Amino acid sequence: MGTERKSRTDKELWRSLAVERVVAPSLLSDLDFAAWLEGRLPEAAAARIEAAVAADPELRRAALDLADILGKPLPAAPARLAVRAQALVGFDAERQVGRGGGWFGRLFTSGPFFALQRAAMVAMAIVVAGAGFVMGGGLGDSLAQQRYGSDVATSTTATTSSELSDFFVSDGI
Amino acid sequence: MTDLNQTDLQTLVTGNKRAWDSFVAAAAPLINAVVRRTMSSSRLGEDDVMDAAQDVFVRLCAGDFRLLKTYDPARAGLSTWLAVVARSAAVDHLRRRRQATEPLDDVPEAALGVEDKHVEKLQIPQGLLTERQTLILKCLYDEERDVAEVAVLLKIDAQTVRSTHHKALLRLRAHFGDEPP
Repeated sequence: MGTERKSRTDKELWRSLAVERVVAPSLLSDLDFAAWLEGRLPEAAAARIEAAVAADPELRRAALDLADILGKPLPAAPARLAVRAQALVGFDAERQVGRGGGWFGRLFTSGPFFALQRAAMVAMAIVVAGAGFVMGGGLGDSLAQQRYGSDVATSTTATTSSELSDFFVSDGI
Repeated sequence: MTDLNQTDLQTLVTGNKRAWDSFVAAAAPLINAVVRRTMSSSRLGEDDVMDAAQDVFVRLCAGDFRLLKTYDPARAGLSTWLAVVARSAAVDHLRRRRQATEPLDDVPEAALGVEDKHVEKLQIPQGLLTERQTLILKCLYDEERDVAEVAVLLKIDAQTVRSTHHKALLRLRAHFGDEPP
């Protein structure tokens, strides 16, 4: 009975007082707060966070709730929560866009074995293309053929135009 | 189920699908519990709880796992840090939902009430109580939590909370006189 009365009086005393604090807006990082919740901080650092928690009711409620949750066994989460979250990572397209690095980077992203395999494929493709090019006569022949083709085209145009002139002259036009 | 604090973070932040899936399986119960507790006083439904929990995972993997890469195992346990991150995400989610949807008529009167600033309170001079004593009194009287809850929060035993509370009250009574003002 006596304890109850004293307790009520203590509460009344506290509520009639105001804590005089000049507390800067809390710049508390998540990691600092987590370290304090685990009791890992040295006394001075802990006192700074305790002042911030005492001054901010939102932070105080967060601290009390988190300490309670972390100290108890957790109920299982609904299955759809995990399914949705797991779908956030793992699509190839997303991974390629996210990582960047270009074609050359991707060649070596999947480990040395796959890199070797891909390099062999690329080398083989180069050999096949090169062989095809050589069998087709190479660059020199190709250029010569192109030049010959353009000469023929020029002379054909010239001949056609002179034939037309002759036609018009013979008609007296 | 894998222990959250055994998570291979180096593999996880490379975007490895298997590492992410097992991390999600291990973290889901904690994130679910924190988000649910944070949103328990609001009148939002199950879909909102699921969306807020999904927000936590989105935050963790966004920008090529930028947030997860800021975590330092030398400073705090992964589960504690995740709980703090989940709480912040849930509070942000609640704020966004309130701003977007809540009509004024649905807000409880107590939340709309303005504190009467004219009530004169005696100031406790700086230095009279330690930060810890102030925090304990605020938890006990302002938050109306019991001694056991405060002991869990501060990682001390209940008897230490009681004696710190007792010493703080003695200091206040000595400073302001025995009778409450």
